[in-house]
Amino acid sequence: MEGATQPASKGGPIRDPFPGGADGSARARRLRGAAAALVLLALFVAVPLISRGYLLQFATDILTAVVLAYGWNLISGFTGYLSFGQVSFFGLGAYATALMVMRAHVPWYFAAPLSGLVGAAVALVLGPIMLRLRGILFALGMLGLARILEVVFNNWHYAGGSVGLSLPAELTPVAVYVGMGLLALAGFGISAFFVRSGFGLDVMSLNEDEEAAAALGVPTTRVKVIAFMLSALLPAIAGGLVAWNRSYIDPTSGFDPTVDLQTVVAVMFGGIGTLWGPFLGAAALMIVGEEFLVYFPNLELALYGIVVIATVLAFPGGLVGLANRLGLLRRPIVLSPKSLTAAPPEPRPREYTGPVLEVRDLTVRFGGLTALDHVSLSVRSGETLCIIGANGAGKTTLFNAITGSVKPTSGEILYLGEPISRVPTYLRAQRGMARSFQIPRLLPSLTVWENVVLASRHGRQSHRAAEHAAWVLETIGLAQMWRDPASRLTPGYQRQLEFARVLALSPELVLLDEVMAGMTRDEQEAVRSVIRRLPEFGVAAVACVEHVIAAVADLCDRMVVLDFGRKIAEDTPEKVLKDPAVVRAYLGEPL
Amino acid sequence: MLLLQILVNGVLVGGLYVLIAQSLNLIFGVMGVVNLAHGSFIVLAGLFTYWFTSATGLNPLLVLPLAFVVLGLIGAGLQPLLVEPLMKFGRKAELLSLMVTFGLSYVLLELALQLWGSDFVSVPYLQSSWSLGGLEFSKAFAVSGAFAAAVSAALYFWLNYTDSGKCLLAASQSSTGAICCGIDVRRVRLIAFGLGVGLAAAAGVLVIIVMPLAPQTSDDLTLLAFVIIALGGLGNYGGVAIAAILLGIAQSLSAFFLGGNAEYVLPYVLLILVMVARPERFRPA
Repeated sequence: MEGATQPASKGGPIRDPFPGGADGSARARRLRGAAAALVLLALFVAVPLISRGYLLQFATDILTAVVLAYGWNLISGFTGYLSFGQVSFFGLGAYATALMVMRAHVPWYFAAPLSGLVGAAVALVLGPIMLRLRGILFALGMLGLARILEVVFNNWHYAGGSVGLSLPAELTPVAVYVGMGLLALAGFGISAFFVRSGFGLDVMSLNEDEEAAAALGVPTTRVKVIAFMLSALLPAIAGGLVAWNRSYIDPTSGFDPTVDLQTVVAVMFGGIGTLWGPFLGAAALMIVGEEFLVYFPNLELALYGIVVIATVLAFPGGLVGLANRLGLLRRPIVLSPKSLTAAPPEPRPREYTGPVLEVRDLTVRFGGLTALDHVSLSVRSGETLCIIGANGAGKTTLFNAITGSVKPTSGEILYLGEPISRVPTYLRAQRGMARSFQIPRLLPSLTVWENVVLASRHGRQSHRAAEHAAWVLETIGLAQMWRDPASRLTPGYQRQLEFARVLALSPELVLLDEVMAGMTRDEQEAVRSVIRRLPEFGVAAVACVEHVIAAVADLCDRMVVLDFGRKIAEDTPEKVLKDPAVVRAYLGEPL
Repeated sequence: MLLLQILVNGVLVGGLYVLIAQSLNLIFGVMGVVNLAHGSFIVLAGLFTYWFTSATGLNPLLVLPLAFVVLGLIGAGLQPLLVEPLMKFGRKAELLSLMVTFGLSYVLLELALQLWGSDFVSVPYLQSSWSLGGLEFSKAFAVSGAFAAAVSAALYFWLNYTDSGKCLLAASQSSTGAICCGIDVRRVRLIAFGLGVGLAAAAGVLVIIVMPLAPQTSDDLTLLAFVIIALGGLGNYGGVAIAAILLGIAQSLSAFFLGGNAEYVLPYVLLILVMVARPERFRPA
C-alpha cells in the first residue's frame, strides 16, 4: 500500500509517481496476464458469433475508441505533449483510404496500412516543428491543424468537397471488427514496449524534465518525433477502417472535435501514461456513456467535459491509479534486474592527451546583456578546475554553453580536441560530458534505478547498462533504495542520486554547478569526499562552479574567476585568493 | 480607395480583437493558464445578448455591464473550484489547467447548445454606416470597436496606474516576488480569472453586434485570441493590442483577395508560422 501514502503533489501529477515495485511474483503476474488475455480473447471471438447487428457495431465502436485512446496516450500520456487535434490523423487516414480505393483502385488490404504510413509521414514532417517547445503551443497547434484540414478537405473537389466520398461496401462488418481488434492489440503492444523498454524510458523521461533528459544522453527530439509518428499511425489506420465501416467520409465526420474529446476523456479516466489505462478508460466510458445517453440524450458533451474535470481534480491517476493503490496493474521497473549485479566500468579507450575541454574566446549575449565576454579557459586531463564568481558573473551560462543548452554568440568550444558547437546536448552527454544542475533535476516519478539506468543505457547493451547502473548505485550508497521514486528521497539523497546519474554516464568531464549551495558543513564534507574520489570512477577532469570559495579552495588545482562575464584571474587557489582584482570583485574597493 | 476601405474595416475588427485577446492574456499572464473555455464564455455572453434583446427589445449595449458582472462572478466562482487547486503542481499546472479548461469548454458548449440551439445568430443593431471622405464606416463595427477599445484602455490604466491593478501586474511578472511584497497572490489570481471571464463576456456582447455566433464557434475564438497573444508576446499588453489590429487588417485583406475560407484559416496558419519562425516567444521565463 505504498502508493496510497504518497501525496499526489510530490511526483508528476499527470502520471502518478511510480507506485513502488511490481506486484506479486513474476509467476503470479504472468498467470494474471494470461487469464486476462484469455477472457478478452473469448469476448472478442464471442461477439460476432452472438450477433452481427447492433452488438457487433457497438463492439467495433468500443475497439475504435480503444485504438484512438492508445494512439493519443503514446504522445500525450508518455511524453506529456497534450494533443487536442489527434483527430487530424484519423481524418487523414480515412481520406487517404477512400482516395486510394476510389481514385487509384488500390485493394483495401494495401490501402489501410498505407493510410497509416501517410499519417506517420505527416507526423514526421510536423513533429520537428510542433514539438520544439512544450505544452501550450503543441496543444493548440494540433487543434488548429484539425481545423485547417477540415477547411482544406471542404474545398478540395478531388476529395469530394463538403459532400465527401462514398466507399463501396466491399469490407464486411466482421472484417472491420477484426481489423480494429488487431489494431487495438498493436496499440497495446506498442504501449507495452513503451512501459518496459529502454526506449520507453527515454520517452517517459520527456514527461519529467526534458532538459535533464537531454543532459543524460536522451536524444529528445528524435524520441518525441518517433512517439508522435506512432501516435499518428494508429488513428490513421483506424480512420481508414471507420470510413469502410460507415461507407463514407466527409470533412465534418473526419475531423470531428468530439472524437478528440472522447479520446482525451477515455485516457484520462482510464489512467494517462499507463499501459492499461486507454483500454479500461475507453471501454468503461463507451459502456457507461451508452447507458447514460439512454436517460439523458444530447448531454454527451457535458458528460465528457465533467469526467475530464473530475478526473484531473479528484483522481489524476484514473482507474489504473486506483488499481495501483490496491497493488494491481503496477508498472514494472524498466530494465529491472533480478538482483543487483554490479560491474565496474570498462575504461574508455584514450588516445587523446590534450586538454579535455578548451573554451576559446567565448561570448554569449542575451539581447543587450553580455553574459560572457571573450572568456577562454581550458581543463586539462587529471585536473580539477573551479570557476568562481559572484552571482550573475556568468558561471551557469558558461556551463550551459559548454553542455549546449545555450548557443554561444561567438567563440569556440573544443571537447577532447574536437569543436562541438554543432553537437547537440544529448550527444555531448553520450560522449562523456556530464553535468549536475544547480538544483537537482531528477525525474521525480521514475524510480532511483530508472533515473540511473537512463543515463547508463546510451551507448551500452542493456545488460551492461544494468550492471553499470548497479555498480554506480552501490558505490554511491543508494543500493537499498533503488526501487523508490526519486521524488520520495530526502534532499541529501537526491543530491547523491544526481551524482549517481553523472557517474552513470561514465564521464570524461564532470561539470558541477554549485553542488554545495545551501548545504550544511557536514553535507558539504560528504560532497567534497565524492568530488575527491571522482578520478577513481574514470573521470578525467572536473570543472566546478561555486561561489562559496572556501568550500572548494582545497579541492581544485586551478581557479578561474569570472566577474560580470569577464575572466579576471586564473591561477592556483592560493595566488588567486591574494589577487587584488579578485579581492576587489568580491569585497569591493579597500577603504 | 477600396484598399483603404479594407484597411479601415480591418482596424475596426482589430479593435474588437484587442478585447478578445486581452482578456485571455490577463488570465495567462497572472496564472500561466491558457483558458481553453475562453471562447465559450464569449459565445455564451453573445448568445445571451441575442436572447435578451430579442425578448425585451432593449439596446444590446445595455447588456454589456450585466454580462460583465454576471459572467465575471461565475468565473470568480469557478476559479477556486477548478483552477486554483492545480496551482500547487508547479510546472505541470499549465498542462493540467489545459485539461480542466478543455473539459469546461465542452460543458459550456453543451449548455449553450441546450439553451439556444446550434444556429448562427446575430443581433441586428445600427445596420447603417457613416460615409466619410468616400470611406464607409459601419456604425455597428465602429461602436463595438470603440467600446472594446475603451474597455481595453480602462484595463490598461487600471493595471498600470492603480494600486490594485499594479498588484495584479506584479503577480503576473513574478508570483514569488509578489508574495514577498505582501500581495495575496491567491486573491489576485481569483480577481484575474473573474476579470478575464468578465471581459470575455463583454467582448461577446460586442461581437454578436457585428458578426454571427453559434456555440460551435467557441474554439475558433479561443484560438484567435491565443494566436494574437502569440504574435504580440505572452503577457505583453501593448504588443497584443498591436497584433490584434494587424490580424484584423490581415483577415480583412485575405477575405477580400482570397475569400472567406482564407479569412477563417488565417489565424491557424499564422499560429503554425509563429511556431516555425519564433519559438523563443514561448520559452518559459
